Amino acid sequence: MELLAFLMIFPLVVAAVLLLVRSNGARKVIVGGSAAIIAVASLVLVGMYLGAGRVEFEFSSSALSILCTVVDVALSLLVLGYAVRYKNALAGVLAVVMVVLAIGFEVVAAHGIEVVHGFYVDALTLLMVAVIGVIGSGICVYALGYMEDFQAHEPEGAADRRPLFFALMFLFLSAMYLIVFSDNMAWLFTGWEITTVCSFLLIGYTRTEEAIRNSFRQIIMNMIGGLAFILGLYYCAIVLGELSLETFIAVGNYAPVVAALPAALLALAGITKAAQMPFHTWLLGAMVAPTPTSALLHSSTMVKAGVFLLLKLAPVFAVSLIPGAMVVLTGGITFMLCSFMAISQSNAKRVLAYSTIANLGLITACAGVGTPEAIWAGMFLLLFHAIAKSLLFLCVGTAEHHIGSRDIEDMDLLFERMPKLARLMMLGIMCMFIAPFGMLVAKWATLVTFVDTGQVALIVLLAFGSGATFMFWAKWLGKLAGIAGSLENVELTVHRSEWIATGVMAALIVLCCVGMPLLSWGIVEPYVYTVYGTVAGDISDGNLWLAAIMCAFIAIVLFAGLGSKGKGRRVDIYLAGATAEKGERRFINSLSGATEATARNWYMEGIFGEKTIRPIGELCCAVIIVVALAAACAGVLAL
Amino acid sequence: MYGLDTVVATIVATIVFAILAPIVGCLLAGLDRKVSARMQGRVGPPLLQPYYDVRKLMGKERASVNGSESVYVTCAILFTFIAGGVFFAGGNFLLSVFLVTLSALFFIIAAYSTRSPYAEIGAHRETLQVMSYEPMVLLMAVGFFMAIGTFDTAGVFTAELPAICSVWGVFLGFLFVLTIKLRKSPFDLSMSHHAHQEIVRGVTTEMSGPTLAKVEIMHWAENVLFLSWTAIFFVWANPASIALAVVVGIVAYFLEVFIDNNFARVKWQAMLKSAWAVALVLGGINIAVLAFI
Repeated sequence: MELLAFLMIFPLVVAAVLLLVRSNGARKVIVGGSAAIIAVASLVLVGMYLGAGRVEFEFSSSALSILCTVVDVALSLLVLGYAVRYKNALAGVLAVVMVVLAIGFEVVAAHGIEVVHGFYVDALTLLMVAVIGVIGSGICVYALGYMEDFQAHEPEGAADRRPLFFALMFLFLSAMYLIVFSDNMAWLFTGWEITTVCSFLLIGYTRTEEAIRNSFRQIIMNMIGGLAFILGLYYCAIVLGELSLETFIAVGNYAPVVAALPAALLALAGITKAAQMPFHTWLLGAMVAPTPTSALLHSSTMVKAGVFLLLKLAPVFAVSLIPGAMVVLTGGITFMLCSFMAISQSNAKRVLAYSTIANLGLITACAGVGTPEAIWAGMFLLLFHAIAKSLLFLCVGTAEHHIGSRDIEDMDLLFERMPKLARLMMLGIMCMFIAPFGMLVAKWATLVTFVDTGQVALIVLLAFGSGATFMFWAKWLGKLAGIAGSLENVELTVHRSEWIATGVMAALIVLCCVGMPLLSWGIVEPYVYTVYGTVAGDISDGNLWLAAIMCAFIAIVLFAGLGSKGKGRRVDIYLAGATAEKGERRFINSLSGATEATARNWYMEGIFGEKTIRPIGELCCAVIIVVALAAACAGVLAL
Repeated sequence: MYGLDTVVATIVATIVFAILAPIVGCLLAGLDRKVSARMQGRVGPPLLQPYYDVRKLMGKERASVNGSESVYVTCAILFTFIAGGVFFAGGNFLLSVFLVTLSALFFIIAAYSTRSPYAEIGAHRETLQVMSYEPMVLLMAVGFFMAIGTFDTAGVFTAELPAICSVWGVFLGFLFVLTIKLRKSPFDLSMSHHAHQEIVRGVTTEMSGPTLAKVEIMHWAENVLFLSWTAIFFVWANPASIALAVVVGIVAYFLEVFIDNNFARVKWQAMLKSAWAVALVLGGINIAVLAFI
């Protein structure tokens, strides 16, 4: 319990200190030191409770509940302030509604309701703790070097808002711990709102017009989710008289009809936070922020809070038809269509964003299916996505600062220009989409689950989405792999903090992929057991070990086998007999001049462009959500 | 340790497959050339011509554009062998499918790594080919599961009826994309065995000598594996069904050779749209029917 409190409070203290520290040197020491402390404390917590099943802590405090309400209100007022300053009426209205609802909730609805076991730890929590503690704080370390370069790229005399930036990063971590530890849904909601507002401020960090616009899009969409959340809490408090998440799941399990409406509302909250269609645009807009922000939002925090809640509620979705169908279809459609749209993008961060949304869609669909096997797959998707995506964002961020572009077409020959970074990036990409790496093994389990439960729509969505996934990753990977002559190595000036962070992520990928059978046995299966009382596993141990061996082999090839001089004579490439210069891709044209041969990847804008696909997805998912909510409301009236 | 038997069985089967599949595949390739020649009114080369070709390639000087290309190709051939090993060890059909995709990826990256314009175009097209057939191949494995009740290929030996009885739609859909997987005309966009292709042999433009020989051997093994995927739909508990399956595999191959000789290459749009339409209609409907009855 003390360790839980430490993990929630310590980052808060660090955030407060960082807000006051203006010296870069001092900041380095504080961030580096406290990131290490958080990571170690998280791992110690995982070690302490590994295999312990669900452990609950008797803790209820009305003072903390009041404090949470005060924080909720203060956050909404902060948003209101910004809405007034930037004249955004919708955000202002939502903020006012939220203030009223938050106060009303504490004073009227939740009055007198006590949650005996305020905090808990189970295997899913442990998984999240490891992700937040190691990956989240790793990203904070990376940000040290990155933000130094970022500030240097800013125009002369630009305000240095780095103290705020780092404070927000640590506040984020603290809020995430609150979310994953709280059984009291009112407290969980406060953590939820803190992450919303933190990402609002981080997205708006540069205060450019685009940043402000995108940050308001984010806050509006997530406030809609927040309103759904608090309305769900009202229902829980007034109708069920309960605010414990655990109790709510139990109620949902034996009385699915009663819990359908709040489950649908909480699912909507999860869907907005996890950036599912039609709310996916906020995550695309978030990439205007400095890259560590994107890495944090995509991998270990924010969107992961959304899928965490959905996975928690999975047993309810499994038995409750309306919210279950809503979550399954929204997730499945989002997976396929966002994979399609990723094909048409050449901006690396946008490809990563679409891939994040697609994979979150898959996790969402797993949560909606809600069987033990689906949860097994969903938890692994969550873990591997967190690691691989953070590595990829960090790599793209570093590449951007050294080659001056985040366009995939400009990453041509990165294998020569930034050899170490290109290999890390290739590892991250391969982990995202190809067997035998973790993400694909989890997808494999997902497919088996869909087949087992006869989810025909999901099978088809997954099959086509997977084809598209191969396309957009493979062509990026190919761009990186190009080798030509000996080019100038431009990665010598990469900050050490960036190498440390990316190195840690890469090591995690290899460790987790190779150790996947152990992770399944130590963390994922125990969670499934505590929730469902059965052991699940779509993938036999033998196949997991096979995958593990092959992962180790590929990692060795990638870092030790490639790029060597090799045997045999070196020759120039074939240019139809008219090579102009040795070692160059130039040929002699019909006017006897030299022309550079260029090749761009395929983007197939006409078929997979955003213009074509986005309206379809937004319409489908919006209709599904509206119909599901209406049906759930009708169900309540019919009770 | 749990699962050790699977690992050992797969390794053994991989070694056996790596020896036998190229031999069978080589003979198939020889037959292909003979039959194609007859269809075109020629006599054609001897049956063992593909073997002579590869032996000659093996003896050639090692010359390459960079040192990594042959590493990628070696990975590609290795994972083809493992995919075959998984399949013939009675292992998971989906894993076999995924490993073939991995092998395809390494082959594509080998082409990309050369930075040759011709090879790059070939690589783009090969990526598109994978995207075109992948949905149908996944649906094929799903259909197999729905018919047999397990993803393990060993499951067919306890099945009362062969898979084809309930998943003929999926099977026909797979036959369609098999042409893309075998890179036969009209879907030989990324590379072609015919010399007159407009992109100078696409993916393999820069591959020569022993590396090219590896590519050839990989194709032999791939062909055997894909035809085995086709044939397994006709196997059930009756041991005699294996003979039937072999016949089906050979018939399927001759069908592909026939198609190869009678159709002109199509544009990529036609390939993508037709393959996805087939997957959606034949695969999707077949699976939906099975799920709801």
